[in-house]
Amino acid sequence: MIQLRKEFITLALVLMIAVLLLHGLQMTYEDKEISEVDEYYKEHQEKTGADNLVEAILLDYRAYDTFGEVMVLYIAIAGVIILGKIVTEEGEP
Amino acid sequence: MTSLIVKAAGRALAPFILLSGVYVASFGFLSPGGGFQGGILLASGVILIMVTHGCKEVHRLAENIDWFETFGALTFLVVGLTGLLVGGYLFSNLLPDTPLMCIVLDIVIALKVFAGTVAVFVYFFGMGVEEC
Repeated sequence: MIQLRKEFITLALVLMIAVLLLHGLQMTYEDKEISEVDEYYKEHQEKTGADNLVEAILLDYRAYDTFGEVMVLYIAIAGVIILGKIVTEEGEP
Repeated sequence: MTSLIVKAAGRALAPFILLSGVYVASFGFLSPGGGFQGGILLASGVILIMVTHGCKEVHRLAENIDWFETFGALTFLVVGLTGLLVGGYLFSNLLPDTPLMCIVLDIVIALKVFAGTVAVFVYFFGMGVEEC
């Protein structure tokens, strides 16, 4: 009986995710009005000198967020290094 | 450990992977790509060599990999602070109309992501392969 219920749960989860994804596919972007931040990015793109607007935003307008991203990656990798060093020196932690 | 064909293929492919990684990282402001993607490409080239030829080939890199990573993160911070000092606000573009910030930060991020990914490989999978 339990076996049956587990499959039903996973099936329900899969169907729910499928419905959400299909709904997401139908979303259209025509009626989305352009916010003034996008306008500012487009108008001042030459100030950053970068043709690739995504990179201009990522590294010039919102470099502070990228800095946070880099720090998150750094801390994650530092954790890996610490774990790696513990395991190699004392065998199993 | 691995057969001769795998070693030869690894040795043949690695330079092209590294070259494409350098291109993607450094031309991020013009063509699609950027620091993160370039760093991952570079790391995959080095990891390919590590897998096919074992960690011994790149043991010098494997030893001080975490210094590269710290250096990358710190230069990112230093670039931000110099922007603060020079331009008045954090991460301000040092030369306003040139993609200087994009280029410098791209390369720094590429170095950082490259070192981080190789470090993950060295410290996690290196233990299975013979010691790095």
